[in-house]
Amino acid sequence: MSVTTHEDEVTSGSNEEPDVPEELARTALYERHVELGAKFAAFGGWEMPLQYQGIVDEHNAVRGEVGLFDVSHLGKVSIIGPGARAFVDSCLTNSLDKIEAGEAQYTLCCDESGGVVDDMIVYLRSDEELMLVPNAANSDEVVRRLTEAAPEGVDVRDHQRRYGILALQGPNSDAVLAALWIPVGHDYMSFVDAHFHEIPITVCRTGYTGERGYELIIPWDDVHVLWDALIAAGEPQGVVPCGLGARDTLRTEMGYPLHGQDLSKEISPFQGRAGWAVALSKPSFWGRDALAREKESGPARRLRGIQALDRAIPRPGMTVTAGNSGTGTVTSGTFSPTLRQGIGLALLPSEVSEGDQVTVDIRGRSESFEVVRPPFVKSSPS
Amino acid sequence: MYPEDLKYTAEHEWVRSPGEAEGSLRVGITDFAQEQLGDIVYVQLPAVGDEVTGGETCGELESTKSVSDLYAPVSGRVVARNEQLDATPEKINSDPYGEGWMIEIVPADPNAFDGLLSADEYRAQVEG
Repeated sequence: MSVTTHEDEVTSGSNEEPDVPEELARTALYERHVELGAKFAAFGGWEMPLQYQGIVDEHNAVRGEVGLFDVSHLGKVSIIGPGARAFVDSCLTNSLDKIEAGEAQYTLCCDESGGVVDDMIVYLRSDEELMLVPNAANSDEVVRRLTEAAPEGVDVRDHQRRYGILALQGPNSDAVLAALWIPVGHDYMSFVDAHFHEIPITVCRTGYTGERGYELIIPWDDVHVLWDALIAAGEPQGVVPCGLGARDTLRTEMGYPLHGQDLSKEISPFQGRAGWAVALSKPSFWGRDALAREKESGPARRLRGIQALDRAIPRPGMTVTAGNSGTGTVTSGTFSPTLRQGIGLALLPSEVSEGDQVTVDIRGRSESFEVVRPPFVKSSPS
Repeated sequence: MYPEDLKYTAEHEWVRSPGEAEGSLRVGITDFAQEQLGDIVYVQLPAVGDEVTGGETCGELESTKSVSDLYAPVSGRVVARNEQLDATPEKINSDPYGEGWMIEIVPADPNAFDGLLSADEYRAQVEG
């Protein structure tokens, strides 16, 4: 038996890692994960839990009850100073006019050619204060670009090890937080500040699973207090510690793109199902001209969902043949625990449309897939 | 973890003698292998009647995160396959030495079983 792992599938931006990686960083919860029997994998320079009991069980817990993820590897970047909001709006693709203080937004950092340097969530605290949560592998580059561009008085600061982040995701997540007197029930994509005993936390109605849930931003040294409290308070609700393997199957079922696979400097937002986060109505932002041209001419290829018609699992890098329309490539693929079928995201020629049948070369076998519109499962985070 | 009455291969298969079919050996993968693979979701096994060659690929196991080849532990003819695994491949994870068995082979060489690794030899390999 020789095992070919596909852990790169969940390693955001792995293709930008050096050949000989530096020593992997660990979150404040590393010892907790070891005690829970986690299997670890490298994610953007971090040694993170891939799974505890098993990806399928963890996945199903999030869809059915509630799961707890340590996502402290994600970047945390604060931007503070007069005009901070206007500055961020002049760099990133989405429009901050769509949200108010106390709300969060999905947005992209593009380069001048319209390629995606990273995708992230921006939290708007006020016109003078914002926080970005980029991917672990790209945080340094996002900080570098923003720092270089920041006007006098606007301070871009990397808080990677000042905060940890826990994601509590699933239909029972409100009950778990409520049992700890942590505020719940605010609108999707909004956030509130709160305290757990003396610990200041930010409670965000955000996530990457497609289920109702929360992400908690917690001072790095106190993350274990919240982890322990959530595991204990969540027991009656069926809380399960979840690794990044389940996070990947959950996001793939929703068709959410992962930077480094489905979005990259080579895969533009209009190709990668993220065009909705590009506000061409804004006068300027990084990559605007190139993106406006691509929107005008129409992207040559598009990220589509593919669903197996038989027993086959697509994996990143596999070639897709779309009849006379040409070929494409699988960018994400996994077994869907909910559908119990192979699903994936693939960059396909623009002529290919939903309902078409395509074939994927799976280790020399030609397997049939249907082109579908994600999400693959009926679920809603709101 | 590694039952004493079974034999093993360096490729993490176990072999039981005798199998249920007359003159056969029963084959599966070890607890170590299923643990390494994680949740197994698809299994491709050779068909009954296929001739397999010891040390060569005869099937494929796919988990949520990885794919691995199944090697024939000995040369011979496949006389049974575990049909249950098509619908419930997770039995390989939950019961690798029992309900998670995969195929039965009638070996070409009746002494092939004796040449495989003992539990102690296999344990030494996986535990270093």
